[in-house]
Amino acid sequence: MADFMQQVVAGLASGSIYASLALALVLIHRATGVINFAQGEMATLSTYIAWTLTTNHGWGYWPAFVFTLIVSFLGGAAIHQGVIRPNEKGSVLRVVIVTIGLLLAINGLVTLIWSGEVRAVKSPFPTRTVDVGGVAISIQDIGTIGVVVATVVVLWFLLQYTKLGLAMRAAATNPGEARLVGVRVTWMLSLGWGLAAVLGAISGMLAAPSVFLDPNLMAALLIYAFAAAVLGGIDSPVGAVVGGLTLGVGLNLLGTYVDFVGADLRLPGALLVILVVLLVRPSGVFGRREVRRV
Amino acid sequence: MRLDRSALPIAAFVALAVVVAVVPSFVSAFRAQQLAYVAIYLIALIGLNILTGYTGQISLGHGAFMAVGGYTTAILMADHGVKDIWTIPIAALLTGTVGFLFGLPALRLSGLYLALATFAIAVSTPAVIKRFEDFTGGGSGINLFGIPELTASLTPVTVLGKELAFNDWLYYLCWSVALVGYVLAWLLLRGRTGLALRAVRDSETAAQSSGVSLPKYKTLAFGVSAAYAGVAGSLFAIATTFVNPDTFPISLSILLLVGVVVGGLGSLAGLIAGAVFIQFLPDWSQRVSNSPGAPSVVSGVLLIALMYVLPTGVSGLVGRIRLLTRRG
Amino acid sequence: MLRKLALALTALVTTTALAATAAPAGPSLAGGDPGVTATSILLGTTSPLSGTASAYASVARGADAYFKYVNAKGGVNGRTITDTIVDDAYNPQLTVQATRKLVEQDKVFAIFNALGTEQNDAVRDYLNANKVPQLFAASGATKFGTEAAKYPYTIGFQPSYQAEGWVLGKYLARTQGSARVAVLFQNDDYGKDLLNGLKRGIVRSNVKVVAAEPYEATAVDVQSQVAKLKASKATVFAIFATPKFAIQAYFQAGKLGWKPKLTLNNAVSSASNIMAVAAANGPALANGTVSIVFLKDPTDPKWKTDAAMKLYRQVMKQFAPGANADDVYHVYGMAAAWTAVEALKKAGKDLTREGLVKVVSNMSFSNNPFLLPGIALKTGPGDHFPIEQMLLQRWNKGSWKSFGGLWGYRGT
Repeated sequence: MADFMQQVVAGLASGSIYASLALALVLIHRATGVINFAQGEMATLSTYIAWTLTTNHGWGYWPAFVFTLIVSFLGGAAIHQGVIRPNEKGSVLRVVIVTIGLLLAINGLVTLIWSGEVRAVKSPFPTRTVDVGGVAISIQDIGTIGVVVATVVVLWFLLQYTKLGLAMRAAATNPGEARLVGVRVTWMLSLGWGLAAVLGAISGMLAAPSVFLDPNLMAALLIYAFAAAVLGGIDSPVGAVVGGLTLGVGLNLLGTYVDFVGADLRLPGALLVILVVLLVRPSGVFGRREVRRV
Repeated sequence: MRLDRSALPIAAFVALAVVVAVVPSFVSAFRAQQLAYVAIYLIALIGLNILTGYTGQISLGHGAFMAVGGYTTAILMADHGVKDIWTIPIAALLTGTVGFLFGLPALRLSGLYLALATFAIAVSTPAVIKRFEDFTGGGSGINLFGIPELTASLTPVTVLGKELAFNDWLYYLCWSVALVGYVLAWLLLRGRTGLALRAVRDSETAAQSSGVSLPKYKTLAFGVSAAYAGVAGSLFAIATTFVNPDTFPISLSILLLVGVVVGGLGSLAGLIAGAVFIQFLPDWSQRVSNSPGAPSVVSGVLLIALMYVLPTGVSGLVGRIRLLTRRG
Repeated sequence: MLRKLALALTALVTTTALAATAAPAGPSLAGGDPGVTATSILLGTTSPLSGTASAYASVARGADAYFKYVNAKGGVNGRTITDTIVDDAYNPQLTVQATRKLVEQDKVFAIFNALGTEQNDAVRDYLNANKVPQLFAASGATKFGTEAAKYPYTIGFQPSYQAEGWVLGKYLARTQGSARVAVLFQNDDYGKDLLNGLKRGIVRSNVKVVAAEPYEATAVDVQSQVAKLKASKATVFAIFATPKFAIQAYFQAGKLGWKPKLTLNNAVSSASNIMAVAAANGPALANGTVSIVFLKDPTDPKWKTDAAMKLYRQVMKQFAPGANADDVYHVYGMAAAWTAVEALKKAGKDLTREGLVKVVSNMSFSNNPFLLPGIALKTGPGDHFPIEQMLLQRWNKGSWKSFGGLWGYRGT
């Protein structure tokens, strides 16, 4: 029983990491209608910035953290203004290609500057473990889940209860009409990208202490994050978290107890989730159905 | 009137065929091999163009279809003694069926969701191939070099009185298939089918209300484009003389979509340009810098710049030149 | 109407013209083997400069620095060595294309130090059929040393993964009594080879492998696997992984409160990169880790005054500025390059591919300065593994300390 619970705990820990990146994906999609294939790489870059500040320049953890968030926000908004905007009026395809270009460029940039060596990143939480009935639960993992939940709450509050959130939602769903009532649509979209970049940075800094930092930190994570976002509903922050945790636990249990799945089919397992959800209920567990107007 | 309009593309096509036939005499055997890969990508792009350019469905998973074709060929050649050329139509049929079957559930997805679903399939393909080791050779893959079913890998072969070493034979094989494939696609798309497919792209609801059966044409497009990718994959296996799960990574699927967009949806010249781009991009990026990570940066920046400068791809540029020269 | 025709034709011709731009033919002596002139030798290397394995690009870089150093001192038999490095992003299909380019367009004399098991595998038949030496393939896959009769042009370099696993297994058998071993291994030829070697090493002893968990190179983390391994109540934890996952394994084991004795395979025993990070995150576990080693590690204080390592640092500083000289993969590359230079010297002024293959198939060098003292490079009929000896080392408080005598492995 303890072994089973250990797998569940490990699953929650992994799942919270999937959820943190999934939040960024959800926000971008909700705020700008785009699926950003470069989200993971942007998060990796942010994490490297935090790492180099604390390791090579002697900054303290929290100053580096805050600085990284600010830089990520500005970077995300800048990418939207400079790279995405010129392609917004074109087909969806163009935006997809451009985000792929970003993915390649940022991944290469990170390797070029910092090489492929694996780095250690400090965690704000102590790495102590608590033993509960034979199951080892790490404080760090509890902290990660806590931060993810807090982020969702803040995000939800922002989107549902503030004027800014309303403006962002309006800019995403009805840009034409939003403009008519004075919403500065382009700024709202850039704001969305900036916030998503911040979420990505948080995700990277939560993941890196236990997954360790290298240029491909987010490459594998991105797929699981997509799966979590789709499962929970690609427009729902709460869904992203629930989706991530469910996915983490589910894949762990499947991998441990179902021999056919084993280690090699974990990733396809996540992808199967994407496929099945998209086919059966595209809006995900917590999402709303999309209605097309003629 | 009709004859007149057809005469033009036919003449251009014949000119292309002539150029293709003659080029190997002017370039090194190694170049011929690189151009053979251009033909392979062209075949895949013709298929992807039918899907994305004509019905507007985005696929980030055509590398997976290539894998199906490639493995079909490899397994038939290595385990069942089928000669390389005969595996190609089998690969086309098999992959086309798989594509058609995928097209059925894909009917419910559109735009970015379809891109995501196909992305998911492409990413999981290497892992799935590895899982069925006994069948696919797992991580070690299947080696085709030197086996009797593979023409000319060790000794030159005589075709139509001419002696061809591996590279030249490969070139002629791939380009012949590409030209035939283009003609078939052209025939498919010029009549009512093409019109129906384009109607689906422009507005699904309008098409439906005009009596165009969405399921029929969307799944048809998937099946046909998959068949093309399967053929490309088959030739890919023959050309590389080796398949393994990592020879069909997600980057292949991404490159195919990039090729179709950079080339520009719709024109043959554009598709050829796209195929050339895919084949030579790694080369070009490495020439700029060989430091670890640099080729990736160059490729990424190039992509972004291209979307900025040539939003409708190379064929869009060709179209614009035409407009300019017409006015002048 | 004519315009459209002209346009299509122009597009076509331009494209083919672009593609057909004359590639300069590689250098060659009149009537001699390609890649050799009176004053130069051209080698070709495929390396993962981009992609998930870019950490291994240092292998090619270290070798390249050494060649430049040798050239500065006059070269080999009056010839300068140029090593063309091409990126294959660790994708075997690109390796095939890059290798063909090196052989058919650049016309290299030999393919040298190409990195990766699948990558070398994909081109092995082609190179042997075309009688191009596949020199010092940078992979420990057992097959590159064993199938010498079928592939005479292919030579490995490092100890095979099976040999490594075997040595670790024998060590456990001799010192751990009836230990229970849990293994984390990468689910590919690399990890499986190591596991098989280990199993062979412990046969006829009381040591048992009680759990073996694979992970995919595409995994995010190995938490679940480590948890499963801990549940097996093993007392020894063998990690046969790549850097990131090896470090994660330490970290996860520590988090779970599991305190087994640890062993690691060589590819992840690099002191500066991996052990330092692992130790920082799980110091209790790191101390006492046993691994095998055959190269001198640049961060090992033992070699601080060693002449060879001083040379190494000097060469790196001069010919690979900006590279991290602490990275032991550079040393690997340099060791391979040293061997290549010695082999070329021995093959003589009248340099042919056949001649070179003859030398490397029957070589015996015992003074490679970058290998541990006493380790010899030896090949013979049926044995294409140059290095088959290694030392055991134990990590303690920040550095490795080798112990015991040299272990040898007669591979089959």
